[in-house]
Amino acid sequence: MYPSVIEEYLRPGSVSEALAAVARYDEGEAMFLAGGQSAMQAMKSRMLRPQCVVDLQDITELRGITRDGGALRIGAMTRYVDIAGDAALDGAFGALRDAASHVGDRQVRNRGTIGGSVCWNYVASCMPAVVLGLGGTLELAAADGSTRRLEADDFFLGPLETARREDEILLAVSWPAPPARRGSAYKKWGLVRDALPVVGVCVQVTLGGDGNCLQARVALSGLAGGCQRAQAGEDLLVGCSGDASAIDRALDAIAGSVETHSDMSADADYRRQLIRSIGSEVAATAFARARGD
Amino acid sequence: MSTVENSADWLGARLARKEDLRLITGQGRYLADMVLPGMLHAVFVRSEYAHARITGIDTSEAAAMPGVVAIFTGVDFKDTVKPMPQPVVKPNLPARYPTFWPLAIEKVKFHGEPVALVIARDKYVAEDAAECVYVDYEELPVVRDPEQALGPDSPLVHEEDGSNEIFAMTLTGGETPEEQAANAAAVEEIFQRADVVVAERFRCHRTGITPMEPRGVLCDWNDSDGLTAWITTQRPHIDRLALSDLLEIPAEQVRVVAPRDQGGGFGVKAPFYRENLAIAYAARALRRPVRWVETRYESLMNVGQERDQINDLEIAASKDGKLLAVRNRGVADNGVGTTGVYWGFVMPFLGAVELPNAYTWERGDVSLRCATTNKAALTPSRAFGHFPTRFALERAIDMVAHKLDMEPAELRRKNLVPSLPYTSVTGEYYDSGDFVKVWDNLMAQADLPAFRAEQAKAREEGRYLGIGFACGVELSGVASELLVPMENQPGYGAATVRLDPRGKVYVFGGDAPGGQGHETTTAQVVASLFGIRPSDVVVTTGDTGTTPFGSGSIGARAGSYFVSAVAKACAEIKDKITRILAHDLQIEASVQHFEFTNGEIVYLGDAAKRKPFTEVVERIIMFPINLPEDEVGGLEHTAFFEAAKPMICFNADCCIVEVDVESGNFSIKRWVTSEDVGTVINPNIVDGQMHGAIVQGLSNAMFEEFVYDEQGQQMSADFEHYKLATAADVPDIEITYAPTPCPHTPLGTRGIGEGRPSSVPGALSNAVCDALRPWGIEITDLPLRPGSVWQKLRETRG
Amino acid sequence: MKTITVTVNGTSYEESVPERMLLVDFLRDRLALTGTHVGCTYEGVCGACTVHLDGEAVKSCLMLAVQADGHAVTTVEGLAGEGGPGPLQRAFSNSHGLQCGFCTPGILMNMSDFLARHPDPSDEEIRSGLVGNLCRCTGYVHIVRAVRDAAREMREGASEVQA
Repeated sequence: MYPSVIEEYLRPGSVSEALAAVARYDEGEAMFLAGGQSAMQAMKSRMLRPQCVVDLQDITELRGITRDGGALRIGAMTRYVDIAGDAALDGAFGALRDAASHVGDRQVRNRGTIGGSVCWNYVASCMPAVVLGLGGTLELAAADGSTRRLEADDFFLGPLETARREDEILLAVSWPAPPARRGSAYKKWGLVRDALPVVGVCVQVTLGGDGNCLQARVALSGLAGGCQRAQAGEDLLVGCSGDASAIDRALDAIAGSVETHSDMSADADYRRQLIRSIGSEVAATAFARARGD
Repeated sequence: MSTVENSADWLGARLARKEDLRLITGQGRYLADMVLPGMLHAVFVRSEYAHARITGIDTSEAAAMPGVVAIFTGVDFKDTVKPMPQPVVKPNLPARYPTFWPLAIEKVKFHGEPVALVIARDKYVAEDAAECVYVDYEELPVVRDPEQALGPDSPLVHEEDGSNEIFAMTLTGGETPEEQAANAAAVEEIFQRADVVVAERFRCHRTGITPMEPRGVLCDWNDSDGLTAWITTQRPHIDRLALSDLLEIPAEQVRVVAPRDQGGGFGVKAPFYRENLAIAYAARALRRPVRWVETRYESLMNVGQERDQINDLEIAASKDGKLLAVRNRGVADNGVGTTGVYWGFVMPFLGAVELPNAYTWERGDVSLRCATTNKAALTPSRAFGHFPTRFALERAIDMVAHKLDMEPAELRRKNLVPSLPYTSVTGEYYDSGDFVKVWDNLMAQADLPAFRAEQAKAREEGRYLGIGFACGVELSGVASELLVPMENQPGYGAATVRLDPRGKVYVFGGDAPGGQGHETTTAQVVASLFGIRPSDVVVTTGDTGTTPFGSGSIGARAGSYFVSAVAKACAEIKDKITRILAHDLQIEASVQHFEFTNGEIVYLGDAAKRKPFTEVVERIIMFPINLPEDEVGGLEHTAFFEAAKPMICFNADCCIVEVDVESGNFSIKRWVTSEDVGTVINPNIVDGQMHGAIVQGLSNAMFEEFVYDEQGQQMSADFEHYKLATAADVPDIEITYAPTPCPHTPLGTRGIGEGRPSSVPGALSNAVCDALRPWGIEITDLPLRPGSVWQKLRETRG
Repeated sequence: MKTITVTVNGTSYEESVPERMLLVDFLRDRLALTGTHVGCTYEGVCGACTVHLDGEAVKSCLMLAVQADGHAVTTVEGLAGEGGPGPLQRAFSNSHGLQCGFCTPGILMNMSDFLARHPDPSDEEIRSGLVGNLCRCTGYVHIVRAVRDAAREMREGASEVQA
């Protein structure tokens, strides 16, 4: 119910200050606090017992959505509500808004951040699958001032595990300017409205001038193995025009290829069906956005 | 907003509630808001295992932590406190009543059972300390399936009982085994000759009505005055007797107060819980106030688990659509059962009693077995015991209708009890009402022919709509005739009505509401009877120190018993007022010759003879001279209302759904109801009761489920896993009324709202099955989820 | 322990608090503002603890008090103005949008923020906005009506002011 004793709470004003604070502690003793919508659950259930909490709320350079031409950079501390409210995040980046506008509830969206979500990488969460599905780049900074950039495929390692070292901060998630005729979408299914995803599907497609798919990325959330690509379906989407039967074939392949599990939310077979039904809708929307419908 | 000119109109007025101002401004006083000087905080250490021997408890590290005041374990209670099964919290039903104390002794029997109690000066520290109480367990085999529990090879949950059958009963055919056997044979004979027989196994999962406010107990001990206990309870007067008996404190030294504001009860706060006793014990031992506030985790682990029945149900019918006989073998998963008053099995007992519902049957053969398992005991939840049996019956009736190629609505109407009073085949008495009138009103709302046309057109377009019906006879309060055997306590309503010299009225009632608006409905009744305003009336409930005995806020007692006692008390007082007023006016008149209206008492024989209410009241209380012979001053009366026979209310539901056959998703397009609630005091409050009950029923039927794994570990102790319906998950609800005033209550009111969720799963499932008629899908299990609909479609479509 | 300065319902408080103290406990136990309620454990799903942080609805059980240092918090006790309960609160009473009242403060705080951003919401939008607040008693029907009525009154009041 209540967190275990916290010895130190810090609120640094800069990234370097934040990193220096964490560096003073041994592994596992200090943690960064973003929006807290997942971290506080973990602290209150005492799954996490940090001695030191480094609150990132005052570091303004970590917030905000910036554009440079068509390139997009979202600061790690950018809240769901701000992503959901950015109407320019459509077309190629539509999945970001789809996901952000349905995480939890509006109170959660006023606090929770994209950085907190991707670094926590809980299996039943949306942003990791969307960042993976859109092929984002994650910018990390270390205490010695160095930075590195990781592709999403290399960042998400498994449930609650990412390539971020404990002494690194996620600065932002970014994308280069997308090609024309790219569209993405995301949808999840849960037992009640906006519940944690039992299953979620993110689809990004890029079309050629002839309207056929040149490239596709598909990522899934809610599976026991964590957010993951679905290459089986991606290959089948390439070359099609987004017609219903091609989409269905692709989703059948995905549903057949992934490992699903049974739990109190749904059984393994129904999870496959959900991937099909949600995936078809999401893929159709991605194609429509790519076409500019 | 209501502007009422004629005070007789307070009955039926949509008055904004008196409770609201403090609640909308955050000035309510719930248990967790209460603080006493020097108060200590309590945290329970609870069992990690479903079934295990306790081989050691090490409290040394926890006891040494700064701020920790005391730690209690089971052995502290065993020789100093009586075991919990005392008569006041045991029903008068033949059953096994295993011994237990507030904390586990030697064994734990369910995941979450309290094992130790940590008392500290700060609630965060108490949790730190509780983590450092180390309990050694030796695991024992877990009993988790109720049918296996009743088998010969099952491990025993309570070894002293020699059996896992905590309760069993045959509810039809009479009292003796011979009579019951003869009845069973007669029923079998009906089944043999019947044109149509439906036989199915229906399963209802473990779910219930957990309230938004978890439980809490605050106890204060004083060597001179004894024990004062504030408890989140629906039954303060019963809790008081239990604490007195168990702790051997003289009854006059025990006072229990249910806080004026409680965040819902729904039956979950009706039992007498171990924690009540443990906290009282600790407060007395430490001579310091001790407060325990339950976490949601504890709540979901320990209480609010109900339903969980298997019903093998059969119906025999004639080819012209007459229901002939019903036969049911029920098995309830009782959990450990060790929870005072209800013991888990009282709910399934009532569920079996209520099985016949609103239909006529020539005969019935209904029996029930309740099995002890290593799970939390069943605790009451709104639609007490009959959520599963009503689901089974209403589904089976639809199955009968399909075999007869008859509209299910038509089959129901044909078999509704045509006139009341009526006694069901299980001996339940239905006192009054007009079921057919309620049903016909529902059918007028539903417009079945129009729906069938719409459904046919939709099917051509590949869309699947369905309509489903169900109804429910529900208890309107519980008469002593039923409550004494069932729960060893009385059913009467009691109210003290006291006037003050300024003409204000104070009402005292021993029940303990949690949101039903008793302050307002009571005030409306008093205001209409005395011709004053609801703002002139103050209602006090739940304090055993000031209120007459009340069995509690259970079984819809307010509109039936309590309000009737209030009306009786007011009538006595009005008699006295008018006797004295007539004397003062020097006229021969009695109460029926006067009208109490708009703050005045007016003589109907001569409207010039009228006096302000406040003036007459003040005269009688403050200036009691020149009174009629044998009359004395003062205006106060305590009245008791009992119904000779149990009373009922009745409702019928219609649900329209659309089902997506690819995914199994279904959505409710419309929910409309027809209600007989008798005379309505405040329509807003009654509407609200119906909305809430129906949404609870939907949430139970579709989303909520308590899950225990193979090791008996409870997996659903937080709201991420035990999912309640949000506003976005449920439809708008249309409530309509076709009432018949109750002839047995002074105002014609009926108690409402308790059993109301029970018809919901039947109506919903019937609608989904109706949508899927092309495939002949029959739903027999709850919860009803898209995954299960999809699975059934897949099996049928291949 | 840490010294924090938080403005709550317009009053500035300087308090020394344990780092791990939840914001909801700071409000309830330290400042005796018990109108904000706790209805779940660690999961932060029920929404009964909803308050405003700098004018936006947040769950105070999912925040540490120290995170509110330097910020402004509004609780249900701070909703009413000089003239008593405001239009949203009155609408809840008039529409019977509360029964036990335990979830009500959280809903009032969430909906006051919601209506500030969505002054003319549909019933569907109101229901979506309420996902973060569980209610057991009302079945939500009268709550939706109350929010709708409050929205209308606030729009009409606003247009009166403009006129």
